[in-house]
Amino acid sequence: MISLTLIVHHEEQSSSGDYRVTTESIQSTRMTKYVSPQQEWKEIIAIYLYLAGMGAGSFIIGILIHWMGVTFNPLSIPFVDFLGVRLDLAKLPIFWGAIMVSIGAPFLILDLGIKWRFMYACLNPRTSWVARGFIILSVFIVFGLLILAKSLLPFRWLNPESGLWLIPEGIAFVFAFATALYTGILLKATKSVPLWNTPLLPLLFLTSALSTGSMAIILSTLGTGLLSYHSGAMKVLMIGEQIFVVIEGIVLYLFLSRRYKASAQGKESVRLLMTGKLRYVFWQGIILLGFLFPIVLEWISKYYQNSALLFIAGLSLLTGGFFLRLGLIQAGIKDQIPMQRLVEFQYGIKRVD
Amino acid sequence: MEQKVLLVDQQKCTGCRQCELVCSVYHTGASNPSRSRVRVVKWEQVGIYLPMTCNHCEEAYCVEVCPTKACHREPDKDNRVVIDKKLCIGCRTCIIACPFGQPFFDHQERVTVKCDYCDGDPQCVAFCNVKAISFVDADRAQMAKKKEAANRLADLLKQARG
Repeated sequence: MISLTLIVHHEEQSSSGDYRVTTESIQSTRMTKYVSPQQEWKEIIAIYLYLAGMGAGSFIIGILIHWMGVTFNPLSIPFVDFLGVRLDLAKLPIFWGAIMVSIGAPFLILDLGIKWRFMYACLNPRTSWVARGFIILSVFIVFGLLILAKSLLPFRWLNPESGLWLIPEGIAFVFAFATALYTGILLKATKSVPLWNTPLLPLLFLTSALSTGSMAIILSTLGTGLLSYHSGAMKVLMIGEQIFVVIEGIVLYLFLSRRYKASAQGKESVRLLMTGKLRYVFWQGIILLGFLFPIVLEWISKYYQNSALLFIAGLSLLTGGFFLRLGLIQAGIKDQIPMQRLVEFQYGIKRVD
Repeated sequence: MEQKVLLVDQQKCTGCRQCELVCSVYHTGASNPSRSRVRVVKWEQVGIYLPMTCNHCEEAYCVEVCPTKACHREPDKDNRVVIDKKLCIGCRTCIIACPFGQPFFDHQERVTVKCDYCDGDPQCVAFCNVKAISFVDADRAQMAKKKEAANRLADLLKQARG
């Protein structure tokens, strides 16, 4: 809560007949203007950021598995017929990331005032991160889907074993990284929201993309039987995912503590998240579902060798990843307008935190 | 062309919001303050009113973040920053980026709108009864600002000396 205290200067006559100026505080009123977070970007943007981040993260992990030449189990449904073409599903559980980003991108279009003009969004890549993001996501979607199509389609003329495929795979890998980072840079580039205006935000979203992405790959490979629970590759994946979660937790702590000290609005944003109206999103959505549940459940699942618990842990972590984006979007409070600060200074209207 | 700016004298403003109405009527044809490009910020409890309008900043964040170049500067027209409605996609990034809380999203037109000096004849200036807003050369505005800062400093020094 912020209250305004009006300092009033008035003259009064003392018993000796002299006039003296006294100062007193006469009013304390609630001022909610500055604690209102931005209302321009809402849940739709959070869904977009989440799907783009998680999809890119899962593609990064998937392509690393592919490059390491991990031996996969045969799938129970190895092929499916689609419009007379026999699709090979063997690599689908590790290459589906681009589909998620393709599903996420239309959410950004949904949020536009005039949706059919979305193609204009690439006209100013020189200075605008929205335009750069449009290009980054487009390149990733094209190359990511190309890699997926190569693994699905049975055409020999595609020459899937050729070393030349490393070029599009490398491009897709680099742009997947760029996509995961971009989701944070998009918010940082707006500058006027102290909570977002830090390089730790892209780093936080990148680590979250890698933790949710690796967990999503664990679930898809385990669920389809591509990797078994006891396989060496699965163990490496699980250790990697746990390391990403721990790094994400450390980055989240650093992010919040630095933002708390950054400015009055940064402090308000962190307060809003931790003790304000977003506390349920933070403590239950981000901390409980995104960190505590998955860590504890994964540990129990490892102890009892129970893959079902791992699925619950996975779904919990993925949900937590969404709440992380939602919480940070909804807690973004803009800097106080300089003229308003000047007026408050001029008239002695003091903000009391 | 010499740059002109809107200069607000907050001490003259009575908070009548006439500027909001005429701005809305001029730009949209509707007498609807929520569609105005100028907004009067109020501290009701203490009777302070501050008309807020676009500063057409030298380093305009709205121009920088706009993905479509809809938000651009026109050096030949008072060096103003304007939004081309035909290019705006309504992403609202400029609204989040502006440190002065300025461009506004017009929910009827589905695009972002901002002050364009009414093509050189600002209606808020023409209709302000108490002359709280004026349209002056940038240099004169700078002088007024400097004068104001000097007066404020003098007051503070007086207070400090007791």
